[in-house]
Amino acid sequence: MSGPDGDGVSNTLHMRMLERKVLILDTQIQELKYQIVRNEKKAADEKRRKLESKFNQKFKQQRLPAWQPILTADTVLPAFFLIGLLFVPLGAALLFFSHSVQEMELDYTDCKSVEAGVSMPCSEVIRKSNFTAECTCQVNFTITEPFKKTVYLYYGLDNFYQNHRRYVKSRDDNQLLGKDITSPSNDCNPFGMSDGKIYAPCGAIANSMFNDSLTLYDAGKDEKLKLIKTDIAWPSDRKIKFNNPPGKLNDSEAFKNTIKPPYWTKNVWELSDDPSNNGYKNEDLIVWMRSAAFPTFRKLYGKIDHSMIGFKFGFPKGRYYLEVQYRYPVDSFGGRKRMILSTTSFLGGKNNFLGIAYITVGCICLLLGIIFLIIHIKFGKRAVDQLNINQNTPYSD
Amino acid sequence: MTTQVAAEVRARAGAGLGAAAGGGMGGQDYRTVFLNEPQPFKYCSNAICTAKYRYKLLFFLPMFLFEQFRRYANIFFLIIALLQQIPGVSPTGRYTTLVPLICILVVSAIKEIAEDIKRHRADDELNKREIEVLKDGQWQWIKWRHIQVGDIVKVRNNKFFPADLVLLASSEPQALCYVETANLDGETNLKIRQGLPQTSHLLEARDLMSLSGKVECEAPNRFLYQFTGNLKETSRPTVPLCPDQVLLRGAKLQNTNWVFGLVIYTGHETKLMKNSATSAPLKRSTVDRQTNNLIILLFFLLIVLCLIMAVCNSQWPAELHWYLSLDDLSVFNFGINFITFIILFNNLIPISLQVTLEVVRFIQAGFINNDINMLYEENNIWAMARTSNLNEELGMVKYVLSDKTGTLTCNIMEFKRCSVGGNVYSMSDGSSPCRSVQDLIVLVESGGPGSDMARQFLIMLAVCHTVIPDRDEGRPDSAIKYHAASPDERALVEGAQKLGFVFETRTPDCVVVDVLGTKERYEVLNVLEFTSARKRMSVIVKTPDGQIKLYCKGADTVIYERLGDSQQFRDVIVRHLEDFAGEGLRTLCYATADISQEFYDKWKNIYHKASTALQFREKKLEDAAQLIENNLTLLGATAIEDKLQDEVPETIASLLKAGIHVWVLTGDKQETAINIGHSCHLLNQGMPLIILNTDSLDETRDTINRHVVEFGEQLKRENEAALIIDGKTLIYALTPDLRKDFLDLCISCKSVICCRVSPSQKAEVVELLTRETGSVTLAIGDGANDVAMIQKANVGVGIAGLEGLQAACASDYAIGQFRFLARLLFVHGAWNYSRLCKVILYSFYKNICLYVIELWWAAMSGWSGQVLFERWSIAMYNVLFTAAPPLVMGIFDRSCSAETRMKYPELYRESQSGSHFNWKVFLWWVWLALVHSVLVFVLPYFSMTQDVAWGHGRVGGYLMVGNMVYTYVVITVCLKAGLETDAWTWVTHLAIWGSIASWFIFLLVYSNFWPVLPMAPDMAGIYLQVYSSPVFWFGVILIPLSCLLLDVTTKTMQNSVRKSLTEQVRESEISNKDVSKVLDTKHR
Repeated sequence: MSGPDGDGVSNTLHMRMLERKVLILDTQIQELKYQIVRNEKKAADEKRRKLESKFNQKFKQQRLPAWQPILTADTVLPAFFLIGLLFVPLGAALLFFSHSVQEMELDYTDCKSVEAGVSMPCSEVIRKSNFTAECTCQVNFTITEPFKKTVYLYYGLDNFYQNHRRYVKSRDDNQLLGKDITSPSNDCNPFGMSDGKIYAPCGAIANSMFNDSLTLYDAGKDEKLKLIKTDIAWPSDRKIKFNNPPGKLNDSEAFKNTIKPPYWTKNVWELSDDPSNNGYKNEDLIVWMRSAAFPTFRKLYGKIDHSMIGFKFGFPKGRYYLEVQYRYPVDSFGGRKRMILSTTSFLGGKNNFLGIAYITVGCICLLLGIIFLIIHIKFGKRAVDQLNINQNTPYSD
Repeated sequence: MTTQVAAEVRARAGAGLGAAAGGGMGGQDYRTVFLNEPQPFKYCSNAICTAKYRYKLLFFLPMFLFEQFRRYANIFFLIIALLQQIPGVSPTGRYTTLVPLICILVVSAIKEIAEDIKRHRADDELNKREIEVLKDGQWQWIKWRHIQVGDIVKVRNNKFFPADLVLLASSEPQALCYVETANLDGETNLKIRQGLPQTSHLLEARDLMSLSGKVECEAPNRFLYQFTGNLKETSRPTVPLCPDQVLLRGAKLQNTNWVFGLVIYTGHETKLMKNSATSAPLKRSTVDRQTNNLIILLFFLLIVLCLIMAVCNSQWPAELHWYLSLDDLSVFNFGINFITFIILFNNLIPISLQVTLEVVRFIQAGFINNDINMLYEENNIWAMARTSNLNEELGMVKYVLSDKTGTLTCNIMEFKRCSVGGNVYSMSDGSSPCRSVQDLIVLVESGGPGSDMARQFLIMLAVCHTVIPDRDEGRPDSAIKYHAASPDERALVEGAQKLGFVFETRTPDCVVVDVLGTKERYEVLNVLEFTSARKRMSVIVKTPDGQIKLYCKGADTVIYERLGDSQQFRDVIVRHLEDFAGEGLRTLCYATADISQEFYDKWKNIYHKASTALQFREKKLEDAAQLIENNLTLLGATAIEDKLQDEVPETIASLLKAGIHVWVLTGDKQETAINIGHSCHLLNQGMPLIILNTDSLDETRDTINRHVVEFGEQLKRENEAALIIDGKTLIYALTPDLRKDFLDLCISCKSVICCRVSPSQKAEVVELLTRETGSVTLAIGDGANDVAMIQKANVGVGIAGLEGLQAACASDYAIGQFRFLARLLFVHGAWNYSRLCKVILYSFYKNICLYVIELWWAAMSGWSGQVLFERWSIAMYNVLFTAAPPLVMGIFDRSCSAETRMKYPELYRESQSGSHFNWKVFLWWVWLALVHSVLVFVLPYFSMTQDVAWGHGRVGGYLMVGNMVYTYVVITVCLKAGLETDAWTWVTHLAIWGSIASWFIFLLVYSNFWPVLPMAPDMAGIYLQVYSSPVFWFGVILIPLSCLLLDVTTKTMQNSVRKSLTEQVRESEISNKDVSKVLDTKHR
């Protein structure tokens, strides 16, 4: 009885032993495998590390080489003097250019009507007629120094807020592009549509377009001076932004189903006799449609035609007068209207500010340079003196 | 392998949701698992998802948006975007806030998705692993995610456990198995798990199938070392289940062919996942809180500004200006205008700040993680930023509260001394005045007087522990490796080994000790385990000669309480203990008791009852232990040395130099603590020590008051003194009426040492200090007992050490060694602080600078709210033209090299005092922004009054001026970033010049959109006007320069007259570099 039983026990023991051995071998094999994997991984790591660019290492260790500017009296001194020495002459040059610009301004807001029997200012005349009547007035002026070529004629407005938010957006650029639109943009309201007809052009900007006519006369000869009314708007505006709808410029083709803005006296296709300067492509309109930045602004009205006799080299001195077809009301908001004759330098119109600003900044820099020089002499311990910083170095913030 | 499990461990709030939901299924106090039967409940699936967004694509969007719009800033911008949809209200069109907002959300979303995809992949990999499960009497391979509660699984060697299992049987005798739990607690030693004898015979599938009954166990919880349950087999007595039978998910089977286990907790209900579900409390940095206040302030400023605008607008005589044709001038209009202005000025609050900060912090954390100077090469541990929210807080630390063991010391223990029979025996041979251990062996062998006690003492060393010996199976002669739960235990067993008492084998019920050549077998009857509350452990053994003995070792206080009367060496050993502690050694006391058989039998029943209790098992076990650990006889004491880590004294000296107060909170004895304090230079000779050792509240009050009076005027100032307090006194000192005075006393001292403190006391001290002083505190520790303190402090740093990863997992930053703390604070902390302050201030500055211009312009445009700039240019301001400089500043800027910062810890004081970011600094930046905005608007205004800025006499419009001003703003603001940058890397150059160039290119491209693309008609051809104007180009030179003139001048003045320490060091370093350039390049 005991025999087989004992055998069973020893068999199971034997089995256990074998199992154990297998297990040991198993673990050993696994260890080897693990080692192989680890070695492979190590090799791969090495490879990657080599491939990893220098930048990456320097970046990770925050060791990217860096330029470290120091701002102390002695380091900024030269820069300040340099700026000062550059700016002052530069400013002087700018001032010179500004001074070379000749300019004549004429405020004609309150000019009196030339009509016989009416000794009222034109502004009152048109107000009384509820802005339907036209009033002509003349203002004399004298040019004492001849203007050099080219001479530009501007009209200027004061206290006129072309930059008002509700005003600036009140336009439809798609309409001005000559697109066939069935209804203008909401921004145009309340000058979008009337009785199913679209205002052409729509919006408050167009509606309030400056419509005084300015004409210059030579007082001696009583001769009208010729003005060039083209090329006064930006070419990009003329070419890209403003286009007439297809068809002839009249109310049956290009501008069918449109109506003139309420404050206008003419239709948009009647703005000029020159067909290339008419409709939406009228340059006066284009100039007006570019909203000015500040409440006091000027806009180009025309250029003096220098092909006229005596005007070949500029605008000769003498007595002249300005004749205005006075239509545009400004007195309700206390505005002023001006006529400006001006030449330009390469910097544009007359403005001393930039020159003065350059000189001022240059002087400040020189002054600061001197102050820094004094500071440097008084306080300027070179950095080398401070190399030895130890725990006894007083702390200050 | 480990990375995937690490993915599980990662603290994810998202996982918590699922865990809670799953727990609800079996929502009682305990869970019943039926054996070989379908379960009545449907438990949580074993599939896990650690990703933040659990359902991948489908639910990503709503969840992500919900997360994002919990931020006030985003809600604010969303409201602005909605307001813009009201027709006619917005001055900047309908989509100019929506698009940048979407840009920013997309950036955040990309970041989230990138992180989430990684997690999803890791999860998938885990869920798709395969395992053998017993089904219909056969082993079948199924995927992990299909495992259900009640399944019986077979796990093979070197494989991870797929769920929490109850061990039934294993390939080893008596259902033994070895597990490695490194992924759970970081302990690399092997642990023994043993199945119940009642199930250990179930070695075949057949046997397992025949099993019937149920397992009752507690509801899922997060306590790794705690488990109570019962096995109730049909028609058999109930058997208790304890943590010994539980195999946890995340652990790995080792040295065991296979095990059978019954699945009890699955998926998110496993203890591993339960642990990762509870994330560390969300901490916010001081700078972050200040920023938030500033944003709120700006919001009110915005409201005030808009009100002023609206009032001015209503006073402006619009009705006179006929050309405007404004007919709706009602009160209603006031409200509409107000909204218009809010939209106009909304970007006073920087929209891109949050996302910029997120990106910057993310990369800063990357720098910390990759810093090769914080790599602990021995264990290949890199520093790890577990959160990036506190990067800058590292630069403001005022108090460092440190644990001692494992933090200041290596936690590598060495048996040094022992005290037996009135004599001290020392391990180090020769030089020391006390006897060598050889004498002890001689004494034992001689059998003279006292040899019996010495022998018992050494036997106890070899028997009373829970160490597992591991001998290489193939070679029986090889050295024994000991796996111990604590380094102390291993040191003691190794000590005994050296003394010739070699602990050889452990089976579940006996240990074999080689006593000077003869093997003795001790039957282990019970092990009463060590807990931090008990501060002692005991074993009850049957000696070879049949006696029952209790061996108890533990802290001197607890052992002395339990000694019988008339102990021979009681006082001598006390003296020896003091000596040991004075040398900075860790001490333990040893005592024994003889137990009579009948007392043991009686006690055994009580103990058994306690150990099968389902509720309050721990408490009941403790009470049971209390009954038998009594009337002990003192045998002796041991002293273990724990060496200081590398460079600890130097690091502490640096910290002190940097104006950081270092407090040590330790569980060690007072003498040990003081000694360590001396050896790590926290205390120096001649420094007055204020020692608080009292026994009652009144006494404590008197002592504290006396010291407060002694300090007099010097109270609350930094004094060359140290305060030492023990845990007992601390209890009184922390009572509400004393804590204020106590704290005053503490902050008057340079350093404070609290000894014999419990984990909760550590946390209490940290909390008191943080709350009362308002200073930034940093707690550093390595063990589970430091977790509370780490979570309470402003910044928690964990040392990934020998005591496991628990502290590291709860921390905000984990480092390998204490010495890396200096680099973490002085280099990363100070840099990140100064960078982040710059980024925040700069972000406010750039937006104020641009948007206040609208106010000046409003005065010239009839307070109408017209925007001077083109709407999309301004919308791209924060996301394109000025996005890169602050980013680069936050990533690449650095003042003083890392080496210098490490060399001169004084530099740290600057960031510590928060001098870079406070109201004064903020107002200064706002002032600069205002000055710049005035200059940048007024100068172009005056230079454009003639409207004609070209030789050809044409006039420009408002956009000509607008784009001029905008160009100047972009240049000024970008250069201002450069001015604030201390170190220009090539990336900085790229960012600053590139940003400026990007605007010029944008203007060029954008002006050509109309009419090809239906947008920006007003910009058509503007680039021609701008770029062809000489006035514009003269302004480009003049205006940014004159704006920054003020900045440069003040900066130069400061640097020349009242130079800060940082600036001094920086300068000397830079000029030094020039000299030793060759040397420097060689070093790299």
